[in-house]
Amino acid sequence: MLSVFIIASACLILGLFSGFLMHRSDFCLVATFRDLFLFRSWFLIRVLVLLIVTSMVLFEVAHLLGLLPFYPFPLLGSLSAATFIGGFIFGVSMVLAGGCVVGTLYKMGAGSILSMVAFIGLIFGSGLYAEIHPFWSTFIKKTTFFPGIITLPNLLQIAPGWLILPIVGLSLWLFRRWQRQNLWQRTAYANNYLQPWKAALGLAIINLFSYIIAGMPLGITTTYAKLAAYVEHFFWSQHLGSLSYFQAVPLNATLPWLGLHLQGGAAPRIDSIAYIQGPVIIGIILGSSLSAILNGEFRIYWRAPRRQYASALIGGIIMALASRMTPGCNVWHLMGGLPIFGLQSIAFLAALLPGAWLGSRLLTTIVMDS
Amino acid sequence: MAMTFEQSENKQFDIRGQICPSSLLVALREVNKRQQEIKAGHQHLTLLTDNRDSTTTIPEALINMGYNVSVVKEGSYYVITVEGQPA
Repeated sequence: MLSVFIIASACLILGLFSGFLMHRSDFCLVATFRDLFLFRSWFLIRVLVLLIVTSMVLFEVAHLLGLLPFYPFPLLGSLSAATFIGGFIFGVSMVLAGGCVVGTLYKMGAGSILSMVAFIGLIFGSGLYAEIHPFWSTFIKKTTFFPGIITLPNLLQIAPGWLILPIVGLSLWLFRRWQRQNLWQRTAYANNYLQPWKAALGLAIINLFSYIIAGMPLGITTTYAKLAAYVEHFFWSQHLGSLSYFQAVPLNATLPWLGLHLQGGAAPRIDSIAYIQGPVIIGIILGSSLSAILNGEFRIYWRAPRRQYASALIGGIIMALASRMTPGCNVWHLMGGLPIFGLQSIAFLAALLPGAWLGSRLLTTIVMDS
Repeated sequence: MAMTFEQSENKQFDIRGQICPSSLLVALREVNKRQQEIKAGHQHLTLLTDNRDSTTTIPEALINMGYNVSVVKEGSYYVITVEGQPA
């Protein structure tokens, strides 16, 4: 019981810090890709590269020091065609929703009603996925490329260092060049603005702590499905019992430093998924609220065009479906899987880019068209 | 005779609570629609936004296009003013 309390408290603290940093810097992973396509802005792409490369180094150092409980981490699976499809759909829908599964939380915490609508969409979409899970899980099994192989070094049968060293070398050269061109800083007018590169370094450290303490980097999407299961349990419990997705237990591993057995899934019960991901979700919302309140910026605005409400709801629903189909979200793959060269995460990024391009086109031509 | 800021017509857009990146898209659309009037000093734009990111991206984009942009915090939101640069 004490070990559960330790993990849950640690995750809550990590969530609080994440939400606070995200609100102060407005470092949004959707804006990172959307603004590249809409405004040819590379600013946040540079920040994302910094975040990924920093995480790569931190994870590898922790790995070599024996601090990581698992390598690769649980719930990161093998590559399949499903990842490409899920990543593409995720890219489209995150732009339409106005934020990703994590961005929605920090924006909602600061008072955004549209993000709250996207949040409801995320829960609804997660429940919807359970209906197609039997078909989709068969599709995943049939299209898995390298069964049992999770990372690129694993596939190439080399140590991760052989990939990390040239990437870090090239990145350091690029980072210095960007520094000389003054491309890390933005002239900011927002109250107590935190430069996004500082938030990126903070998030890389938070993610490292999450990996060391809870055995995996930040990830929250299974808990959206769990919330959907609770709602369905309340209104339609018989049907819930017939859905195989809610019976599955994808997390099954022992956390050595606490001797704690982690076990859980999307079922409506308090399991390891609930006490690892749940506090992170609550923490991000509260951390962002705290930042907004301290800044005098917390205010609920609800007057947005109906088309934007529809976009947030539909975007949220489809994004949840995509995150279950992939499986995993952008934060999980870009901040967690990519730094350890997860094959799924590399494929997710490759598919996310064209998806975000299409989402940006839809946003300007349909949602914002007046 | 050049018009003063007070004499120029104010076009105000309230984008508080809207989806990202509404503030920047509206700013670009409206500025492009009224280029002549703003540059001549006949009109200026004010945008009300609660989006922290756009207090950076709007000035960045519009200053590059040759406009004067100021950002002032008003309670829980920001007022972004766009006007032409004096000749």
